[in-house]
Amino acid sequence: MVRNGTNCRLRAEAISVDYPGRPVLDSLSLDIPDGKVTAIVGPNACGKSTLLRALARLTPVAGGQVSLDGQPIEKQRSRTVARHLAILPQSPLAPEGLTVLDLVRRGRTPHQSALSQWSRTDAAAVDRALCLTGLKDMSFQLLATLSGGQRQRAWIAMALAQDTDLLLLDEPTTYLDLPHQIELLALIRKLNHDTGRTVAMVLHDINLAARFADHMVALRDGRVRHRGTPSEVVTTEMMQDIFSLPCTVISDPVHGHPHVIPA
Amino acid sequence: MQTLRLGPVSLTVQRRPLIVGIGLLFLVALAAVAALSIGNYPITPVGIWQALTGRADAISSMIVLDHRLPRILTAIGAGAALGLAGAMFQTMLRNPLAAPDIIGFTAGANAGALLAVLLTGGMILTGALAGGALTATAVVALAWRGGLDTHRLILVGLGASLSLGAGADLLLSYTDENTAADMARWLTGTLHARGPAEVALVWVGLALLAPIALWFGFPLARMSFSDDTVAGLGLPLASLRLAVTALAVALVALAVSVAGPLPFVAFVSGPIARRLAGNGGPALSAAALTGATVTLGADLAARSIPMVQLPAGVFTAMVGAPVLVWLLGVQARKGRL
Repeated sequence: MVRNGTNCRLRAEAISVDYPGRPVLDSLSLDIPDGKVTAIVGPNACGKSTLLRALARLTPVAGGQVSLDGQPIEKQRSRTVARHLAILPQSPLAPEGLTVLDLVRRGRTPHQSALSQWSRTDAAAVDRALCLTGLKDMSFQLLATLSGGQRQRAWIAMALAQDTDLLLLDEPTTYLDLPHQIELLALIRKLNHDTGRTVAMVLHDINLAARFADHMVALRDGRVRHRGTPSEVVTTEMMQDIFSLPCTVISDPVHGHPHVIPA
Repeated sequence: MQTLRLGPVSLTVQRRPLIVGIGLLFLVALAAVAALSIGNYPITPVGIWQALTGRADAISSMIVLDHRLPRILTAIGAGAALGLAGAMFQTMLRNPLAAPDIIGFTAGANAGALLAVLLTGGMILTGALAGGALTATAVVALAWRGGLDTHRLILVGLGASLSLGAGADLLLSYTDENTAADMARWLTGTLHARGPAEVALVWVGLALLAPIALWFGFPLARMSFSDDTVAGLGLPLASLRLAVTALAVALVALAVSVAGPLPFVAFVSGPIARRLAGNGGPALSAAALTGATVTLGADLAARSIPMVQLPAGVFTAMVGAPVLVWLLGVQARKGRL
């Protein structure tokens, strides 16, 4: 399963998740390669969000186990896990009256305690996260006054401030227009490149996933059906198998990534 | 935000909440002085000072030390406990309309008190505490489903409150006229004729519970995010909810045991405090001080009306009702109702 020489700190080992009445994940195994950007794609209700949530121990598994650094994730302290793995859930909610800085600071929670409320490391990590996401000048703005794209960047900055090697994102581009989707995915790409963070994200748009990910996983009916590089995964056969969508796949003339053109 | 660092220890102080806290403290002190001096037998601030330092005449001493002071200290303690409990519930349940009344404690306490009076002719306090604790436990147990779901907690609590309220009305109709009048006063919440026993109880209780409650301010400031975010930050959500609920119920029990179920204090303090502190946090200490101010003010108003002895609860309700209407308006505008 693991490519030659690639380590995987986060792994799903034959995990099953059931919602009342139907299985969502069916004995699914998946390794998230370290230092790479992994995109999880698939049709609606294929279990991709559930998979991401199970990887982040937000959804308990009925069978199998998720392991982080070789240890079952649910056996580890929640705080310890949160120091290695950050998740940005889909459409997160913030309390009223919070500024960008307040939000990003909350990302330091797993490193803090009542007696260590704001160490120099905390301050440095928050500053770094604000700079990386280009939000330094907006630190004191209320979250509610930001545009959708800026707000999403603020949430990503919060996850970055958590200072974890692993970053999981559940449809980070939802509700963003195309320029903001590109901007956000370029930011994620840059973060991976500059800081070596492992990223795993659920994405809807196959073409954007093919362009911005190193590694792709295609799900259908709670099982992994295809995995590999974008060129290996994004094919006419995959689109037929996963989405039942007849299409042509061309090489994008600018970047050379596979590009789906529905028939 | 200012940071105080000493070795590995670092504490943060935010300017606005600090100023708000000092301002509220000043307001409580001012209300206390007013409450000590106003009454059927007015006493000047100088006279109060003399009474407190044991240099006043017998009548002034008795009025200040034996009547007004215990009543005021009880009001401050009970109000602070209710304010804290309300702010904790509201932050934890992410609902500004939440209050200990929601989880059924108050209705349970009322029904318990009435039942105790009917069965034994006394033991109001024991009945109230048992009724409140039983109801809160039952509500949490019924709402529990692998964790404490906040919507289920609010719905189950509301159901329990309404049924127990009806039950209490039924019980009240079985009592004789005098008992009914006494009970009606207790059920409204009153600070009439409080003594050293109440003062000691509420302040010892506060000294034990308030530091723990303030300690929970740190996770509470993060619990106002959605469950996924909270869990992602590494906070043990289920055990935190249980601990916060237990602590808030204990604080309400403390207040109810010295002042009866003062309505709306727990409910109004949080929103006012959060607006004043303005840092998006739970504003626990500001809520405690707001609760103390509201209760003290309500009791002062109740005492100031000549001829009748009105319970303070009447006035906390008069402050609370407009705040409820205002909050409902805010929620409706945001389309959350």
